Amino acid sequence: MDSEDDMLDANDSADEDFYSGGEAGLASSDDGDGDYDFADHDSDDSAELLSHRQQQNYSILSEDDIQHHQEDDINRVSTVLSILKSEACVLLRNYNWSVSKVHDEWFADEEHVRKVVGLLEKRMEIPNDRELTCGICFESCPRTSMSAAACGHPFCGACWRGYISTSINDGPGCLMLRCPDPTCAAVVGQDMVNSLADDEDREKYGRYLRRSYIEDNRKTKWCPAPGCEYAVEFVMGSGSYDVNCNCSYGFCWNCTEEAHRPVDCATVSKWILKNSAESENMNWILANSKPCPKCKRPIEKNQGCMHITCTPPCKFEFCWLCLGPWSEHGERTGGFYACNRYESARQEGAYDECERRREMAKNSLERYTHYYERWAANQSSRQKALGDLLSLQNDKLEKLSDTQSQPESQLKFIIEAWLQIVECRRVLKWTYAYGFYLPEHEHAKRQFFEYLQGEAESGLERLHQCAEKELQIYLEAESPSKDFNDFRTKLAGLTSVTRNYFENLVRALETGLNDVGPSTSHGTSSKGTISKTLGGKSKSGKSRASSTSSKTSGSNRAVDESNIWACEQCTFANPKSAKNCQACNHQHR
Amino acid sequence: MQASRARLFKEYKEVQREKSADPDIQLICDDSNIFKWTALIKGPSETPFEGGVFQLAFSIPEQYPLLPPQVRFLTKIFHPNVHFKTGEICLDILKNAWSPAWTLQSVCRAIIALMAHPEPDSPLNCDSGNLLRSGDIRGYQSMARMYTRLAAMPKKVLLPPCELVVGACFLTWLLG
Repeated sequence: MDSEDDMLDANDSADEDFYSGGEAGLASSDDGDGDYDFADHDSDDSAELLSHRQQQNYSILSEDDIQHHQEDDINRVSTVLSILKSEACVLLRNYNWSVSKVHDEWFADEEHVRKVVGLLEKRMEIPNDRELTCGICFESCPRTSMSAAACGHPFCGACWRGYISTSINDGPGCLMLRCPDPTCAAVVGQDMVNSLADDEDREKYGRYLRRSYIEDNRKTKWCPAPGCEYAVEFVMGSGSYDVNCNCSYGFCWNCTEEAHRPVDCATVSKWILKNSAESENMNWILANSKPCPKCKRPIEKNQGCMHITCTPPCKFEFCWLCLGPWSEHGERTGGFYACNRYESARQEGAYDECERRREMAKNSLERYTHYYERWAANQSSRQKALGDLLSLQNDKLEKLSDTQSQPESQLKFIIEAWLQIVECRRVLKWTYAYGFYLPEHEHAKRQFFEYLQGEAESGLERLHQCAEKELQIYLEAESPSKDFNDFRTKLAGLTSVTRNYFENLVRALETGLNDVGPSTSHGTSSKGTISKTLGGKSKSGKSRASSTSSKTSGSNRAVDESNIWACEQCTFANPKSAKNCQACNHQHR
Repeated sequence: MQASRARLFKEYKEVQREKSADPDIQLICDDSNIFKWTALIKGPSETPFEGGVFQLAFSIPEQYPLLPPQVRFLTKIFHPNVHFKTGEICLDILKNAWSPAWTLQSVCRAIIALMAHPEPDSPLNCDSGNLLRSGDIRGYQSMARMYTRLAAMPKKVLLPPCELVVGACFLTWLLG
């Protein structure tokens, strides 16, 4: 295996230079963004530390915040339109909690909005008889025990309670409850629910209302971590999708999976589906249900026609066969039960293709296992690192500060190193999903990717080793060690080098390893440079194996002809303007 | 349970009192179980079901009227929204559009309306729906008519010549 030897050699040689490079890089990095770092570290939120390089384009909402936001919105609409709060609430719910949308629609055509939502212009009184017949149980009851929505259709207390409770137990559709009279569209709002339902249902209704505020609103989402009750409000448009919740869980806003830079959302969802595809549940869901094309909830079809209507609030109508919207079906598309859009797509192989791919994936189980094992190993390693970080923060750091007589603020570099380890493990984990989906036939890209990954892996190992094993010595020491300052320099240097390397790795992978030109300021890698550096590497691989020196051989320098220089330490192709290597911070001579 | 029983009893008394109110619908409660009903409905006029009497079976849940009754045709019927084998009915008010203010009587009325105005766009009986959607009204009507004759009418009625021909054709097709 030539390539493997190559990799090992490359790692080894890089190993030796790594430290010196790291220390060399340290000086500059400390000078460079030392202030910046400290300024941010004052806030001791660990989650923020992780993301301190990104600008924050989201905010975390606690349960109280949610309630406040919701009440504010309701009050705003209620005062502007001069309607009751409960009516404003229904209105907002109907327009997905967008205040501006409600205003627009209302002032454009109030009558239409009222009709759609079920708000009556005038409140009707219950008929003025002493006894009335309830429209549900058909008993006659005294007028005082009857209630009605704005439409004045009277029903008795017990029937209202049953009606509301059935609807609430049926799911969030209860937020759009109407008068029980089938000819009447008057809305039943929270005020009626609160006065007619029992405590349990009232609370449930309130919960649905709060959930709806987050789930139906396009700007907010729940934090997907189990047990976490925070929601996230996201401002579209700028920066990455990565979000760090106050519960310290990091996730991707776009797909709500765990944060997964540099891999894109589609790959992640494929990968996750793949990971669970072996499990029985997933098999069953795949075999027996299809996701609603709009809200993605899985739907099982157990009877009836192909005209499927998703449960409220989605209510999307679609064709079971082709999953297209029902409204587009008619005689022209040939059908309601043998939808020919499906048939023709099948003949063209669109569906078979999908199934065949699944089949192939099963056959290449071995390849998958390779990537999965490494993905899972990094996952568990990250979990462990998180645990170590916690125990450090909780008590070990204090002890260390005592034995080494260093103020705790001077030990921040250890926490920073561990945070970097956690973050790197996450990135590294996802590079295995990336690798799994990297097309086989793009050999050049593959090799380059594997090289980068190998470097990342070994760099991180070094950092992890240093933060774990070497720190242990000082933790166990009885008295202040002389070389503690050296340790500090080394660990901080490794942290910064590894951080740089991973940031560049993420950027390179995000651009698909090919579309950053050599002249751009990032200059991570271009198609040309990849193949060139790659060529250099594979040629020089053997020669490096023979000469233990880590100095790059001439073939790498050949790249210098254009606007880039190859790093002597890691072969990374940098733009001429850069003084230090953008991958390992090694100084360019 | 108690509420549903009381409500069904009300409906029962109403049915007894107003027996002749709607001559097209005859609701019969099971002697031993108030949660089982059958109904006989007359096929609406000016439809292929005219002259037929169709039997419906009601199975009523304990949470009635908060939940809808389950209804199916016992009499074979050729209709786009009725399953040809099981008699299952695809009707929105029996599923998500149910309201507790509906009664068994009004459900029967809704089913009669459905017989007169089929919805071929959400079919349970695909052959029937296809005939309507392809615009073959005559084909649909003669098929529906024939099944009405075969299943929903007393056997001894003399068939007028034209329908006799259609019926005979179909019978030979059935047997052949």
